[in-house]
Amino acid sequence: MSELFSLFLAAVLINNIVLTKFLGICPFLGVSKKLDSAFGMGVSVIFVIVGASIMSYGLYYLVLVPLGIEYMKLITFILVIATFVQFTEMFIKKYSPALYKSLGIYLPLITTNCVVLQVALDNISNEFNFIEMVIYSFAVPAGFMMVLLLFATIRERLETSEIPEAFKGNPIALVVAAIMALAFSAFAGLV
Amino acid sequence: MPSNLITAILYAMVIAAVYAIFYYLNHKTPLPKGCENLKVECEGCKISSCELHPSHNIKEEVHG
Repeated sequence: MSELFSLFLAAVLINNIVLTKFLGICPFLGVSKKLDSAFGMGVSVIFVIVGASIMSYGLYYLVLVPLGIEYMKLITFILVIATFVQFTEMFIKKYSPALYKSLGIYLPLITTNCVVLQVALDNISNEFNFIEMVIYSFAVPAGFMMVLLLFATIRERLETSEIPEAFKGNPIALVVAAIMALAFSAFAGLV
Repeated sequence: MPSNLITAILYAMVIAAVYAIFYYLNHKTPLPKGCENLKVECEGCKISSCELHPSHNIKEEVHG
């Protein structure tokens, strides 16, 4: 149990996917201007990563390994993610218009989020069992969402701050991200 | 041709077909009322090939 907790904590804080591996920078910068948008994006990312990871993990061990075509994992995972996003979008369009209004617009953006593919590949390369895979697949996007929300609150304050002209917009956002990465590096010895 | 390679090609065709079916079904599903003009407020990166990049909206306005 403590190992699973360590895995969760490490994925959220110590090896945060945005601040240590610099993945998912596009939505991190693009959808962090408002807290509402950041929240919607974060929830959508958690949902898609958990779902796509479970499907890709199952396909790898139940289809690719028995057929001896493990080298097809990259194309499989890309298509599984894209298919899962299409299915999810279609499902909530039809059965939950309110949910589509709040989250649906973020779904196509998630297809291009490299964090989703990285998590699916990590689950295989780290040889996780099913429980570890689910914990890791939830922890990574949870860490992504936490950093995205923190970043969004800082950027909202930056909008009303006095910033030199040359630093306005993305330059000051990247400086903030660098300071956040430095701050998060202090968690390194936690687990 | 080794059987492993044929299996891989068939497998790739199957998963690509599954994706194509879901893509078609998704685009055929009508948008809920009030969601026709939803847009992500993304002004982040400079990757102009991304479909959400604001430059695509400008082009649409110019040509439209």
